[in-house]
Amino acid sequence: MWYEDISNDSDVVISTRLRYARNIAGYKFPHMMNNNEQAKIIKLIENVKLKDNYKLFKMKDIDVDTENSLMEKHLISKEFVGNDDGAIIASDKYDILCMINEEDHLRIQSFESGFNPDKAYNNLVEFTNMLEKNIDFAKNDKYGYLTACPTNVGSGFRVSFMLHLPALAKIKMLNKLFNQITNIGLSVRGFYGENTKGDGYIYQISNQKTLGISDKEIINNVTAVVKTLIEQERKAREILKKNNLYLEDEVYRAYGTLKYSRVINEEEALKLLSRVRLGVSTSIIKEVDLKKIQNLMINIKPYTLKLILKQDIENDEDKVRADYIRKELK
Amino acid sequence: MKCEKCGKKEATVKYYENINGEKRELHLCSNCANSIGITDFGSVFSPLFLSIPDYLFEKEKIYCDTCGYKFDDYANTGFLGCPDCYDTFSDKLDDILYKLHGKTRHIKLLDKNNKVNTNRGYRENNKNSNRKLTKEEEIKKLKQEIQDLIKQEKYEQAAVVRDKIKKLENKKD
Ligand SMILES: [Zn+2]
Ligand SMILES: [Zn+2]
Repeated sequence: MWYEDISNDSDVVISTRLRYARNIAGYKFPHMMNNNEQAKIIKLIENVKLKDNYKLFKMKDIDVDTENSLMEKHLISKEFVGNDDGAIIASDKYDILCMINEEDHLRIQSFESGFNPDKAYNNLVEFTNMLEKNIDFAKNDKYGYLTACPTNVGSGFRVSFMLHLPALAKIKMLNKLFNQITNIGLSVRGFYGENTKGDGYIYQISNQKTLGISDKEIINNVTAVVKTLIEQERKAREILKKNNLYLEDEVYRAYGTLKYSRVINEEEALKLLSRVRLGVSTSIIKEVDLKKIQNLMINIKPYTLKLILKQDIENDEDKVRADYIRKELK
Repeated sequence: MKCEKCGKKEATVKYYENINGEKRELHLCSNCANSIGITDFGSVFSPLFLSIPDYLFEKEKIYCDTCGYKFDDYANTGFLGCPDCYDTFSDKLDDILYKLHGKTRHIKLLDKNNKVNTNRGYRENNKNSNRKLTKEEEIKKLKQEIQDLIKQEKYEQAAVVRDKIKKLENKKD
């Protein structure tokens, strides 16, 4: 799977996600459709001859744990979990994952680990063209591609990067930078734990505007900002490393807790893993590699953990999580 | 104000009756004016009487013919009903789109073979908020102005605005 690997600029950039919102001409948007009409949309897409490495799964055939695990990996939206009228098309590596009958008929997503907008864009366009050769998308000259929500109309294109910015947060630069970013029309979202916003120092930067602008411009706008953030975060890490003792103490304490705890909830685990991630990417912690930490950050989430261990964990989730982390960090 | 004859439609013309030397002012809709045999507005009504173009009285389109969606539904859900809603509610959408995207039109789309240059085609200049309105936008704005003036029964001013629209419409780009 794409998210198991690390790639370009993985010290700061966790993942690249590009998506198109598309609808099929001549049909109402999904929220206006009944079950039969939604089934018709799936049928239309099923009839398109896709390359062998793509498979279509109906959501009603996917068990709820798997759906939730896909959501934990940010591969499908929270709203899509439990949508039995929906379907997904996934590539072998899940680097293309298309939701059918989400907010729009098609939400085509292309993922890459690290900072890889060009590769993600090529894959997205290739897959989308394969569909568009067989299906008429709803569009017109005035508004471009027509989407259920006017926030996506035009290009229907969203470019997002998931960033790990602990050092900028620690030197209290984030608010200032995020203000500048929102002022130029991009959006910033804190990730992991709605209440402890940004406690894992993970943020998603994406474009908001989609109308009257080309894909290329959108990519350029977002990547310019992200490249700057990568540089700034690295500078901030250098500054923190000058006070090496305190940084070293913090990341090793986090590492120690993870390595030896017996009961740990998701929130605490993510908070500590975030610090270990900083320690590993600044080469302070050398006992473990970035890839392992990246995977742990996904695998400790409840549904994903349950699927990995193939056991019910409802009654002793925090114990099972601690055991799993200890074993992985041994 | 409403027509004094049918009480339903908006009055668009004033009619001066002269009964036994007593002058009476009558506000009528164009239909009722027609029905009492007044067809030549220009000769019967004073110069201020407006022959206001029909488009002002077209009932605002509330439903999308394709999907039955009401524009009010958008306020509740944040969604439109179907692709045709974009045409149906185009007038109202432009404001919303401008707020969301700073633009009201898309650029020219690529064709299926990606042969069309994305950077060509229609693009608005929205560098500053004091941008010059296009002719269409100007006319739209003036039409709205007329509506407001009529509601306030300021027919004289409405006439001035109407003439502005005429002038604009005859002007070449
Ligand atoms: Zn009348
Ligand atoms: Zn509609």
